[in-house]
Amino acid sequence: MTSTERKLLQELIIQPGTGKALELRRGQILRIAQTTGRQCADFNCFNLHDYKEFFHTGRTRHLHGMHPTKRDFLWSAPPRERPMMAIIEDTVGTNDVLYPRCSAFLFEHQYGLAVHTNCHDIQAEAQREYGLTPDDVHDSFNFFMHTGVAPDGHPYIAKNMAKAGDYVELLALMDVLAIPNVCGADVMMTSNFELKPLKLSVFDAADSDWAEVNEPPRLKNQRNPEMFKIKDIKADRELYKDASYKPDFTNVPIEISEIEIELSDEEKGWLSQLAATGKYGESDAEVLRYVFHSWWIDKFMRGPKHVPKG
Amino acid sequence: MATSKIKLRLNQQQIELIDNTIRSGESNSQDDLVRRALREFAKANLPQPEKDK
Repeated sequence: MTSTERKLLQELIIQPGTGKALELRRGQILRIAQTTGRQCADFNCFNLHDYKEFFHTGRTRHLHGMHPTKRDFLWSAPPRERPMMAIIEDTVGTNDVLYPRCSAFLFEHQYGLAVHTNCHDIQAEAQREYGLTPDDVHDSFNFFMHTGVAPDGHPYIAKNMAKAGDYVELLALMDVLAIPNVCGADVMMTSNFELKPLKLSVFDAADSDWAEVNEPPRLKNQRNPEMFKIKDIKADRELYKDASYKPDFTNVPIEISEIEIELSDEEKGWLSQLAATGKYGESDAEVLRYVFHSWWIDKFMRGPKHVPKG
Repeated sequence: MATSKIKLRLNQQQIELIDNTIRSGESNSQDDLVRRALREFAKANLPQPEKDK
């Protein structure tokens, strides 16, 4: 029989200017909820048993776009690349993985405010409870942050749409240290120019919560330190050369071969027409290579396509 | 039937992709797979004669 009842384990309010590091075991849920609304929550996440595995905005953005939401994952950085948490509920749908965390530098540089609440320092202070340093803070998942990209390529921040009671829920797929913080940007649009508390709740997931999780890929290239050539964490700051180092890059040397493709008159005609557009390459061979790879991506590649059609 | 030969320059990883695709049953040969790609790409991206529309 499957359970539909969750068990509440912990509930707390985080005040403006603060954040809180929370241990979550696999199968536990973190809910980040609005109190009065319109508040961005910045978020960091580490493997609880190996802090060198941490949430990666880049891979998450690549796989789920700039506004991940319900049924998307929070992925760890290469070469680990595992889903750390699953978004199982999102009542607003305006999350962001485009902007980096705000920082003391930013407020000093852009606003002339040398001492100011900022997500980097709030994260660093909350993570310090677990021995992490300011260098360990990583780019944040920005929940409830409403963003976009202007036609000129620059990102922008729009009005925060979250209302009182809105929430996101994250199901831990591994044991994690999860650190939400109340975004400290009160002179930006991020939280509509006002800092408000956020409510955090931790639950034991019910069986029915797992129904909201898509099956993630499990591949040999989701690597762990046992597979690294250097298995220990470097513990000093200075960089120095390893005299015994011998390069061992993958698939090197890259060797070029020529494959002869025999085309009928009709096929050659198509190739010439495609070449005449000037969009696909300089020579017929370059155009044919472009055609093959972009066709293959469109037809067989898993995940979001990175080559526009046509 | 007149034919033209095009020399496609590919590295070993790109050839592996082609060979894996052939092994999955999508085609019988490298030549055949590349020509299929051209045929389908051209159909999708070039103006088609009226009868094919």
